[in-house]
Amino acid sequence: MNTTLADTAPDSPRSDAAPAAKRPGEVLLTLVRRELWEHRALWLAPLVVAALLALVAAIGRVHIDMDEAPDLTSESQRVALFSIIQFVLAIPLYLVAVFVGSYYLLDCLYAERKDRSILFWKSLPVSDGLTVCSKLLVALAVMPFGVFALALLAHLVYTAILGARVSLGSLPPVLSWNSYEWLRTEAVMFLVTLFAVLWWAPIAGYLLLVSAWVRRAPILWSTLPFVLGPVLEWVAFGTRYLLGFIDYRVNGIWEILGVGHVNIVSKHGLHHPVGSALEVLDFRHALTAIDLWLGLAVTAALVYAAIRIRRYRDDT
Amino acid sequence: MTAVIEARGLTKNYGATRALDDVTFAVDAGRIVGLIGPNGAGKTTALKAILGLTSFSGELQVLGLDPRTQRDALMREVCFIADVAVLPRWMRVSQALDFVAGVHPRFDRAVAGSFLKKTDIRMASRVRELSKGMVTQLHLALVLAIDARLLVLDEPTLGLDLLYRRNFYDTILNDYFDKERTILLTTHQVEEVENLFTDVIFINHGRVALSAAVEDLGSRYQQLTPVAEQAARARALQPFYEREVFGRVAMFFEGRSAAELGAFGELRTPSIADLFVAKMQGTGSP
Repeated sequence: MNTTLADTAPDSPRSDAAPAAKRPGEVLLTLVRRELWEHRALWLAPLVVAALLALVAAIGRVHIDMDEAPDLTSESQRVALFSIIQFVLAIPLYLVAVFVGSYYLLDCLYAERKDRSILFWKSLPVSDGLTVCSKLLVALAVMPFGVFALALLAHLVYTAILGARVSLGSLPPVLSWNSYEWLRTEAVMFLVTLFAVLWWAPIAGYLLLVSAWVRRAPILWSTLPFVLGPVLEWVAFGTRYLLGFIDYRVNGIWEILGVGHVNIVSKHGLHHPVGSALEVLDFRHALTAIDLWLGLAVTAALVYAAIRIRRYRDDT
Repeated sequence: MTAVIEARGLTKNYGATRALDDVTFAVDAGRIVGLIGPNGAGKTTALKAILGLTSFSGELQVLGLDPRTQRDALMREVCFIADVAVLPRWMRVSQALDFVAGVHPRFDRAVAGSFLKKTDIRMASRVRELSKGMVTQLHLALVLAIDARLLVLDEPTLGLDLLYRRNFYDTILNDYFDKERTILLTTHQVEEVENLFTDVIFINHGRVALSAAVEDLGSRYQQLTPVAEQAARARALQPFYEREVFGRVAMFFEGRSAAELGAFGELRTPSIADLFVAKMQGTGSP
C-alpha cells in the first residue's frame, strides 16, 4: 500500500467524537413517537370520542324531570351530579382506549413481521428489549395517562359548554362547580387508572407475546384459549375454575380496590360525590394485594418471552 | 489489514435442509465482496448469520463482535438493506429521517437530505406512495448518511429498472465506498456489477465453491478458446468446465499457467459471470 495515497486520502467522515450510542432516553422517546406515527388510532380514536361528547354537550337536549330527580336544588346534590358527570364522561374515553390499546398490542409485533419492515427496524442499533418495552410503555403509560389528561381537559371543555348553556338559559341550573370535589374526583380517576394499568398489565404482556408469536390471525389466537379453555374444563370436569380465574383477572381490580359491590349512584340520591370514593377505595389494600404483584411478575415473564421471540425468530 | 468478517465452519439447518455446510471465509476491510450463488444456495442465510438475524453453529466474528450475543453493538457499525421495499409503508419520508436520526448515533441527517434533494422524493410522501425504485433510493439515502464500517446488501436492486440499478451502484461506489468501509453484496445480476467487486465468494448448496480476490482470478483461472485441431490436447489438461457457443468451444481451467495453455488457442481471464456458470455447472470443482 502506497502510504502517500493513504495520507492524502480525504479524511474519513468517521469521527471518534461521534457518540458510541444514543442515550436510551432519546431512543425510547423516538420509539414512542414512531408508535404514535404508525398507530394513529391510539390518539385519534379517543380524540374523536371526546369531540363527539363535546358536540353532545353543546347541542344535546337534556330533559330532567325535576319531580323524579333527586333534589337538585341543593348545593351538595349539584356537586354530586357534577362529579358524576366528570366520571361518566371519562368512561367512553377509557373504553375506547382499552379497545384500541388491546388491538395495538396484538398488532404491533405481528404487523412488522407481516410486512417484513422488521428487517428495517432490525437494521438499526435498537435492541429488541427496548423496542418491545417501548410498545408496552405506549400501551401501559402513554395511552392510559394520555387518556386521563384528555378526559381532564375534555371535562373542562364540557363544563364550559354546559356553563354557557346554563347562563344562556337553555339548561336548568343543576350543576355546580366545586374545585375541591373536582380535584378529588381527578385524584380518584388517576389512582384507579394507575391500579387498573398494574392489574391488567399481564393481559398486555399476553397480547404482546401472542403478537410476537403467531404466524397469522393474532386476534383468533389471543381469544381462543379463553374460549376453548373454560369450555373444555366444563365439559371434562364440570367445573368453572378457569372461567372464575379469567373473570378475576378482568374484574378483580374492583375487588382489590374494595369497590366490587359499591354502586356509585345510590337509591337515596346523589349524596355521594365520586370524590368521596376516595374514602371507600382501599388503595393500601390494592398495593399490598399479592395478586397484583404476582401479575406484574407474570407480565415481566411474558414480555421477556416476547423479546426473546422477536430477537431469535427467523422467518422473514 | 484486519478481517471485518471471519467465518469458520458456519453450519445452519432448516429442518432437513442444510442451508450452510461448514462455510469458512474471511472479508478484509476496504473490500467490495460479491457473495454469489444460485437460488437457495445459502447466500441469504449467510448474510442473516452475519447480521445476527439467525442462529447457527460455528465461529463467526463481525468487526470483532459475535452477532449472536453482541448484535446491538454490532448494528451501530453495520448497515444493511435486506431486500427491496422493506421500509414500513405507512411511514413518511420525513419520519424515516427523524426516526433514524433519533436512534442512530452515526446518522447525518444533512447527508440524507441532500441526497434526497437530487431525487423526485418529497419529504411529505408516504413510503406506500413511492415507486419501488424510489423506496430503494430512500433506503439508500438513509444508508449513505450512516457512517458505518460494513454495509450488507441482499439483492438491493431486485425488480428495479436499469436506470435505478445503475444509479444505485454508482452512488454506492462514488458517495459511499472508501478504504475503511466494506461492502458485502448478493445479487443475481452478476454481469451488471462484476466490475464493482474486489472479491468474490461463490456459494452453492451451502458450501463455498470459490473465495478469491478478483485480481488473483487471472492467475488461477484461464478461459481457453482452442483452435479446433488442438481441442483434444487441451481437453487432456482437464478443464473443469467446457461449453460450446456458436460452434466455438470455451474451456475453463484452474491452476494451469498461461504458458501451458497458450499454445492451444486464444487465452483470457474469464469474466466473473462466466466463471460463476463454469463453477456451478462444471465437474470436479473443489
